[in-house]
Amino acid sequence: MRWGMAIELKRCIGCNACVLACKAEHFLPPDIFWNRVLIGEKGKYPNVSKLIYTVRCNQCADPKCVKVCPTGATQQREDGIVWIDDTKCVGCRYCMVACPYQMRSMYEDPDKNYFPGQELTEHEKIGKTLYPHTPGVVQKCVFCKERIDSGIAAGLTPGVDRDATPACVIVCPTKAIHFGDLDDPNSEINRIIKEKHGHPFHPEFDTQPSINFID
Amino acid sequence: MESVKPYDFMVKPQQQKDWIDGRGNFIAFAFFLGGISGGLFLASAYFDNLLGMFISWLLAGAMGVSYMIHLTHPMRFWRMLMKPKTSWIARGFSFIMLFVGFTTLLLIIRQWAPDATGAIVTLKVLAGIFAFAQSIYTGFAVSYVSAIKVWNSAIVPVLFVTCGLTGGLAILLAVMMGQDSADIVALENVIRVVLIALAVIIGVYLWNTTYSSSSARDAVKRLIGGSLAPLFWIGVFLFGIVVPVVISLATIGSDDPAAGLMITAVISEIIGGLALRFAILKAGMYTPLLPAD
Repeated sequence: MRWGMAIELKRCIGCNACVLACKAEHFLPPDIFWNRVLIGEKGKYPNVSKLIYTVRCNQCADPKCVKVCPTGATQQREDGIVWIDDTKCVGCRYCMVACPYQMRSMYEDPDKNYFPGQELTEHEKIGKTLYPHTPGVVQKCVFCKERIDSGIAAGLTPGVDRDATPACVIVCPTKAIHFGDLDDPNSEINRIIKEKHGHPFHPEFDTQPSINFID
Repeated sequence: MESVKPYDFMVKPQQQKDWIDGRGNFIAFAFFLGGISGGLFLASAYFDNLLGMFISWLLAGAMGVSYMIHLTHPMRFWRMLMKPKTSWIARGFSFIMLFVGFTTLLLIIRQWAPDATGAIVTLKVLAGIFAFAQSIYTGFAVSYVSAIKVWNSAIVPVLFVTCGLTGGLAILLAVMMGQDSADIVALENVIRVVLIALAVIIGVYLWNTTYSSSSARDAVKRLIGGSLAPLFWIGVFLFGIVVPVVISLATIGSDDPAAGLMITAVISEIIGGLALRFAILKAGMYTPLLPAD
């Protein structure tokens, strides 16, 4: 089993709903992003194309971050999800330097809140209890592994059932993001990748990403 | 740390900041200390200078302290020994520990049992191996990062070792001057050769890097003609090469060169070595993710 995504670029409208859903799901502190929407362009006037890419940790099959981590804090599960054990990270930032996609963040200031000078919002207060973040530790997208694990335990299928699927996938208003098992040849995600010619983002980095983009 | 604007993130060339801003300065400093500590030990072992070996041991300790300051959870430092199979930081940390351990034993035996020649030679060889490893791993840790093309060069480890050696030799020169040693002339000859080698390696590195990718070429342009030019030309080129080489050439044939001149060369070389580490780490740029072809 290897969880992966397929993202249809033509469907993405750059609304940032995935970014906000991730922020809300994981109670992410200010300045921490586990996913982003990159907006760029290519070509020269008058032949210019706008590029919109929703990006997050690629959960690479051959991840640089796991190799460089000196403590073993960054680990890869059997289902391919790369995650960080907060209790083992020393904060050397080698993984942040080594990730060619720059999808890692260091959570440094626990006192920083979304509205400086005011008290914490209810959402921030709840977050400190429900999803506490350890200061001085590197963070990144984990494909909502909590949702996947609890969903599977409840007999649900990730990518099919909402409660077992990553928050950014289910919130997408245009259904641009698909989620499923890359190792299952009959899965919906494999069908989409095959039929629509999905390809990884910057394959030259040679990390075998689990996220495929469809032009 | 100046944060990157969300709409610019990885859409424009992005400077590496994790290993140079804020706490990141301390890893650059640790790399510098590791280099001169290793270089000083190798030079001191060759010239059999006990004080030089002791100073290299102190510098390795200072490297460890600098490392600790860089970490956000320094009390978990022992975990950094857990992944030597794949991580250069873990390997390097093991090298530092082994170097400090063997050098401690060497210094103790050398001081209190100077007749134990066999043990001294064995420990000198073992400590020498790990001094070299401690010096070169910093280059491998940097060059392993394939995302930053200006770092991802096989020349970087060679450059870091040579730079560490010049700094180590410079410190040993100061030590020997204080001891009024008879080996100063021989040491000066070694320094001249290593300095010229360093200048050549820096030149080859910059020239070679410009051919590796457009982002590496941009990084070299920043080094030699952009925002990092003052650091490169004044720190690396002037202090690291020109001043020591000029003083070194001016003192050829002199049996008793002016102490002030030699100290200037020593300090200049050390500043140059530090500037080189900072210049290369600051030059690190990530290639933008868009447009993706």
